[in-house]
Amino acid sequence: MRKGDRLKEKIIQKEQIGKWLEKLGKDYEIWAPVKRNGLVLFHPISSAKEVYFNFLNSKKTPKDLFFPQSEVLFSFPKEEIEKEVETILQKPRIVFAIRPCDARSLALLDQVFDSEDYQDPYYIERREGTLLVGLACTHPQQSCFCTSVGGGPFAKAHLDLLMADLGDGKYFVEALTERGEGLLEKNDSLQEPQKKDREKLAKIKEEAEEKVKSKLVTKGLEKKLDKIFDSSLWDRVHQRCLGCGICTYLCPTCHCFALLDEKDKARVERIRNWDSCMFPEFTVEASGHNPRISNRERMRQRVMHKFNYFVERYGETACVGCGRCIQSCPVNMDIREIIEEIRNE
Amino acid sequence: MQECEKELREVAKKLLLEKKVDLIIGYEEGTLPLRTRPIFIREADETKKLVWNSRCENSLCSYLKTTKERVGIVAKGCDSRSIIGLIKERQIKRENIFIIGVPCSGIIDRKKIEDILEGRELLECIESDSQITLKGEGLEEKVDKDKLVHASCKSCKYRNPVLYDTLVGKEVSQGEVEEYSDVEEFASKSDDERWAYFNDEASRCIRCYACRNVCPACYCPQCFVDQSLPTWFGRTLHPSDTLMFHMIRTLHIAGRCVDCGACSRVCPVNIELRMLHKKVQKDVKELYDYEAGINLEELPPMATFKMDDPQEFIK
Amino acid sequence: MEGNRIVSKEKSEWKPRIIAFLCNWCSYAGADLAGIGRLQYPPNVRIIRVPCSGRINPYFIIKSLQHGVDGVLVSGCHPGDCHYISGNLVARRRFAILKRILEFVGVEKGRVQFTWISAAEGERFSQVIKEVTEEIKALGPNKRFVKEA
Repeated sequence: MRKGDRLKEKIIQKEQIGKWLEKLGKDYEIWAPVKRNGLVLFHPISSAKEVYFNFLNSKKTPKDLFFPQSEVLFSFPKEEIEKEVETILQKPRIVFAIRPCDARSLALLDQVFDSEDYQDPYYIERREGTLLVGLACTHPQQSCFCTSVGGGPFAKAHLDLLMADLGDGKYFVEALTERGEGLLEKNDSLQEPQKKDREKLAKIKEEAEEKVKSKLVTKGLEKKLDKIFDSSLWDRVHQRCLGCGICTYLCPTCHCFALLDEKDKARVERIRNWDSCMFPEFTVEASGHNPRISNRERMRQRVMHKFNYFVERYGETACVGCGRCIQSCPVNMDIREIIEEIRNE
Repeated sequence: MQECEKELREVAKKLLLEKKVDLIIGYEEGTLPLRTRPIFIREADETKKLVWNSRCENSLCSYLKTTKERVGIVAKGCDSRSIIGLIKERQIKRENIFIIGVPCSGIIDRKKIEDILEGRELLECIESDSQITLKGEGLEEKVDKDKLVHASCKSCKYRNPVLYDTLVGKEVSQGEVEEYSDVEEFASKSDDERWAYFNDEASRCIRCYACRNVCPACYCPQCFVDQSLPTWFGRTLHPSDTLMFHMIRTLHIAGRCVDCGACSRVCPVNIELRMLHKKVQKDVKELYDYEAGINLEELPPMATFKMDDPQEFIK
Repeated sequence: MEGNRIVSKEKSEWKPRIIAFLCNWCSYAGADLAGIGRLQYPPNVRIIRVPCSGRINPYFIIKSLQHGVDGVLVSGCHPGDCHYISGNLVARRRFAILKRILEFVGVEKGRVQFTWISAAEGERFSQVIKEVTEEIKALGPNKRFVKEA
């Protein structure tokens, strides 16, 4: 069964979701968007009451559920150097109400962490042990441009289930994989979708897609980027950049990391931490020389990696158009403008 | 406000035309509602992009740290104090900086607007002298600016720039402010409560270092937290590591922080550690009678000493 | 960890671990004098010699807490006696701010202490260590900043 094929379509009443999640909670650890301290983030939940359905998108991506920002790869007592194997997932997980753009980002990360060249056991175990229940995006924001980079507010790719809020107390649910179908079977109050439900679905889908007004033309961009590596354009675009790591750390597709060993008490730990190409230390060499000496080079690297190197290597743009980098940048650096400038160069 | 903006553009244009400066650093409209952003202007024509309003939340001083040109900079009260600090600590030369002072009645805290929006998207925002109109899908709300002002601005004693070469707009009146009442109130809580608060704040930290990079007082060529030979700091997300970073940073900017609030405004995960910085400010004031960034003469308090400094804490 | 903890022979009664940063010229010599004089003081202190109290970075102190010590003592020359003229005076300002901010974030009063001990004060050194050890014992094990796996 290929992901994306239509298996089963059902209607769930909004008030039934609590019961369903409660049942699923027995077998799975459920992560869902929760609002705390004014922030919507994915947290493990014990009751559907905690789920914040009214979210545009989570501040951070659920990427760290698969690729944690800081993780101990292995540790050992100082005396004996022997790897202690730890189970990574105690219980299978569900990421509930993940947006289609974030689901797509995981498919891009799969190429990096689960490819023929390299298999990352930590990532793969988490990925395989986690089901993705998508919530279609009925309110794309001004900064969203998913439709320009191969996604869409109702995109089904890489999800196990896709839910869509029909707005009248009902959710249209579509099982996209067998595992997703299994989740649906745990719900005994499902209804068959009526014709008017389907019509409604088609309508809200169309409306949502229309709301994605930003367009980013990526066609031929990688070739253009090849030519302008030394262009003065980079002098202009980086000026405002503060060189912080917000864009990379909130990005669903950024995946650079650094390994380090920490000696703590009686143990030694090998830790993998996210790293950011926007930091000067990212490229410092052992000699002390730093080939990417200023924000100019670092900014260029970020754009090149997403829109050139990644495309060259995996055939896809490493951007899902979620717009987080645009929204959260303290100085409003806007990737849409930068791409536009590159195209006009 | 519009008059002030007009005046600002003229001043900036004149400075560039008369070649008094090579570069103007100011604010322009951003690409999303509510947002303005820093702009770097080298051509006189472009000065028409300059704006000035209560959404100009960035501290532009952080760009002075790396600029070698003669710069005309738009500076609010807090920014002018940061500039004084940078001059005093010899990071920039007074003669290379032309300060275009702008009186400021407080910057709008976007996080307060997010609370009003409750997940709805803001599509348009119209600003008048005392109010802001927020528009979105099924949303139109007028809010008094006073209610939206950032906490740092609420307790600001220097709404008019302290140091400037030219002032645009009219000076604003300065009401009475209770500078440290929040710190005192917080200090009255128990050790455990205070620890829980800071631990909780630090546990959200994603180590993006935006607070440090935006801080006008942070200008070390290499930050302690980035040093790798030796690696001084744990790089994990353990609150012990992250709180330690914030603590040491607070100590590094002791007697230098002007409470501009830039660090809390840039934080993507709403960490509010202003209380730490405020507390240090209060202590510096109490112990050494020093306030950061109000004159060019006094030595920074942590770089000097007196024989009879208080030492009641010494056993 | 257990190996590093001081465990008494009879029972594993908790005893505090204290780090003392002593300046080379006064306080370390004071500790030496206490030793030469065979003065008794609790064995809970691990001494780290530093050139001057001005050498002590607040980082050292917080890092010690992070590593799980139960108390920190910092000692330098009396004001006016600094081998480097003013190292301890600059440090005094730093310590004043540090102590206040540590207590503000919730580190118990008495967990981190500061003192001046001269090279002639062996008696005073042993007295200070006794007092500090008692006070930290009363506070119990340190839980702030400790980085637990």
